[in-house]
Amino acid sequence: MTLKTAKKVLVSAALGVAAVGLTAGSAAAEWKPKGPINFMIAFTAGGGADTQARLIASELEKRKGWKIIPSNVTGKGGAVLARKIKDQPNDGTTIGMAVNQTFGYNMLATKNPGYGIKDFSYITTTAGSQMGVYAKTEKGWKTWDDVVKAAKGKTLKIGVMGQKLTDIAFLLGQKHGVKFNIVVLRGGRAVLNAINAGDVDVGFGAGIQNKAVRAGTLVQFLSAEDKRVKVSPNAPTLAELGIPFRGGSKFLVFGPKGIPADAQAEIAKAIADVLNDKSTKAADFVGKAFGGPQLFTGPALEKQIEDGIKESQALLKASS
Amino acid sequence: MGFLDHIWLGIVAVFSADPVLTIAGIPISITITMVFSGFLGGIVVGATPGLGGPFAMAVSLPILVSIFGFDVDAMLPVLGFLIGIMKGATLGGAVPAILFNTPGTPDSLLTTFDGYPMTRNGQSGKALRVAHFSSVSGDSVSDIVLIVGAPFLAVFVERFLDFPEKAALIILSLAFIAAVVGANVWKGLLAALMGLFFAYVSTGQDNYPRLSLGIEELGNGFPVISAVLGVLIIGEVFKALEDMWREMREKAEIAEIEQSGDNKLHWADIRRILPFIGISASIGTMIGALPGIGSTLAATLGYATGRKFYKGDGNFGDGLPEGVASTEAANSAVSGANLIPVLSLGIPGNVAAVFIVLATETISGFNPGPDVFRLIPNQVNPEMVIAFGLFTMMIFANVLNWTLGGVFMRATGIMVKVPKQRLLPIVLLLTLTAIYVQETNMFAIYVTLGFGFLGYLMRKLDISVLPFVIAFILANRLEESMRQAFDATGSNPWFLFQSPIAVAFILLAIGVTVFFARNQKALG
Repeated sequence: MTLKTAKKVLVSAALGVAAVGLTAGSAAAEWKPKGPINFMIAFTAGGGADTQARLIASELEKRKGWKIIPSNVTGKGGAVLARKIKDQPNDGTTIGMAVNQTFGYNMLATKNPGYGIKDFSYITTTAGSQMGVYAKTEKGWKTWDDVVKAAKGKTLKIGVMGQKLTDIAFLLGQKHGVKFNIVVLRGGRAVLNAINAGDVDVGFGAGIQNKAVRAGTLVQFLSAEDKRVKVSPNAPTLAELGIPFRGGSKFLVFGPKGIPADAQAEIAKAIADVLNDKSTKAADFVGKAFGGPQLFTGPALEKQIEDGIKESQALLKASS
Repeated sequence: MGFLDHIWLGIVAVFSADPVLTIAGIPISITITMVFSGFLGGIVVGATPGLGGPFAMAVSLPILVSIFGFDVDAMLPVLGFLIGIMKGATLGGAVPAILFNTPGTPDSLLTTFDGYPMTRNGQSGKALRVAHFSSVSGDSVSDIVLIVGAPFLAVFVERFLDFPEKAALIILSLAFIAAVVGANVWKGLLAALMGLFFAYVSTGQDNYPRLSLGIEELGNGFPVISAVLGVLIIGEVFKALEDMWREMREKAEIAEIEQSGDNKLHWADIRRILPFIGISASIGTMIGALPGIGSTLAATLGYATGRKFYKGDGNFGDGLPEGVASTEAANSAVSGANLIPVLSLGIPGNVAAVFIVLATETISGFNPGPDVFRLIPNQVNPEMVIAFGLFTMMIFANVLNWTLGGVFMRATGIMVKVPKQRLLPIVLLLTLTAIYVQETNMFAIYVTLGFGFLGYLMRKLDISVLPFVIAFILANRLEESMRQAFDATGSNPWFLFQSPIAVAFILLAIGVTVFFARNQKALG
């Protein structure tokens, strides 16, 4: 470490201490965790979602002086984590991060999930996917209609990650009177690899495709979100095609049911402050990887969970 | 971005990222430091009878991951340390074999045949120098084949193999490993099937954890590190403890022999042993490229072939440098070639490769397989950069091997004096600690002990553990590729028999099994 960087570190450390002192002085009444917060992450260590969670956690430690212990509890689309969190103490010292699907489609599509939506306190969402349907540009298809036309000639293979997208892909085929061979792959990276290798013709991606779409080597036909995805403003949403479902998902921070309202509000606010402050590493990462924060809390979030349940029920019914 | 750009980026990633210390004004990167420390550790571990490269890799992997994290930046330093151990241990294994007639690793058993007689003739220095020269030569040849071969094989696989063929290829690899490892084909197959069975607990596409008997801790399956280390290391420890208890140790004093003969390696010596190194390196490389066979057979074949070709005075076994060279070149040539199936297909062929694959599965950002060597238009393929970084580290480890390896190797003779009754408890403690460091719960420790007991039973029943471990690791890939092939062919149940390549793979799998089953008596 050179003298200059050492100086910089010292100065920023001193500023950090001062900042902590100020917040502690100004808000004596605010909620504080009784001990270290166990922060369980439903995603594989090192992936984009995990990185997001860990960056948020370390920024919270820095700003609030809370001690946060992140760990990874992976598996089954968040179900392993949900079952684990359900019975933890509900004083705000145990929280988790999964996706909203964990409390929607994934739960409904499982015979014995071992948890229900009433078992949890939903604190805040952090960001969302940019789910779309894409293919290699060299295939020569420019719009979704071109894909459908091609699918009438020969059965196309479509790569998806997870069961919900399988159902949506099935409905897409049904809508246009064509049959897709739907191949379930492990994660967006695997779909992208399969597209590049020519193992599948079309695929779903939650944002991993954006760079190549911008560069023009991939072309995106559809958005599977509420709105059109940012990188392809000309690609219609599934709803515009008459399929009223969304394939995307949002990252969700939650805890066992009955966490006091002030604790929930304080955690949600602290996370929002981190993600809205563009100078933090967490905000920078969320901006790059997920197109910016999406922060829903309180009644708005609860309504989203309920809507998600209704939508998933309808999707399961429509595709069975 | 072409291949050359990726090669350059790989070299840069190894040598310049994250310098940790400066020597003579040159910053030394963390990756280089890790390769160096792994290499030194590997020589010491290899030279200690009862330990070996796989053990050191197994224990260090979880600890390294807890130090460097799961991020892609951790990949090269962690792999570097493992590669260092792999290379160092191969070299170190020859030391106790030559000096004390005690093989440090199973494959150096054949080194004792000529190495120890040389020591008795007062030429231990020469024997060690011959072993070093042959080992490093064999290793270098093998690495060159890997570096040249793996990318092309990967590109070929990517171009010609679709989902059904990939599924068939995994079946073929498992059948091959089960058939060639160990004494009995059926026991090998049984081990592979058990590996699949345990790996299938709580995995698969369904959200409900299958086969978990409602045990919440099994909701995400058996921890891979627990299963692998349990069967491989703890099982071995249990077995060794029992053997010790049975023997109560024969108190044979290890005697050192006065060294007075010619202990230098002359040009004339090198010319003498070079043809034997050439033959053995080719054998080792070929065997290494096939999954499952391993360095012990390579050493045996290298030694046997060398003996057949030897026309000079005396016989193999009397203390001939050619004998040492034949064995060491062959067993060292396995290590590089072993990574060919790992990098081009994602299929590990031996225990060392298992830990390389485990490292890449634990740390994100590098998934060995045909995707690694794909050029993406106008973009850098980060996985290819890591692959070339891996090659760079192997070359660097070879340079270390050539320059410093001999000196360090000759200094590790002392390790043979470490008593086994002290060593085994340390191994047990280190392994369990390493697992706790990664999994941070006691359940993982109980699972490890359970798999350790299974490993012990398998050894008692003469069932090879390697097919178990490799099947455990490949199980999910197998299931996924079967499901994908089924989906991609429009739910055709005959997907394995739709293309000539897939049919050929399946026929080969059956052929290999039947061939080895029929010939095992002859081979045994």
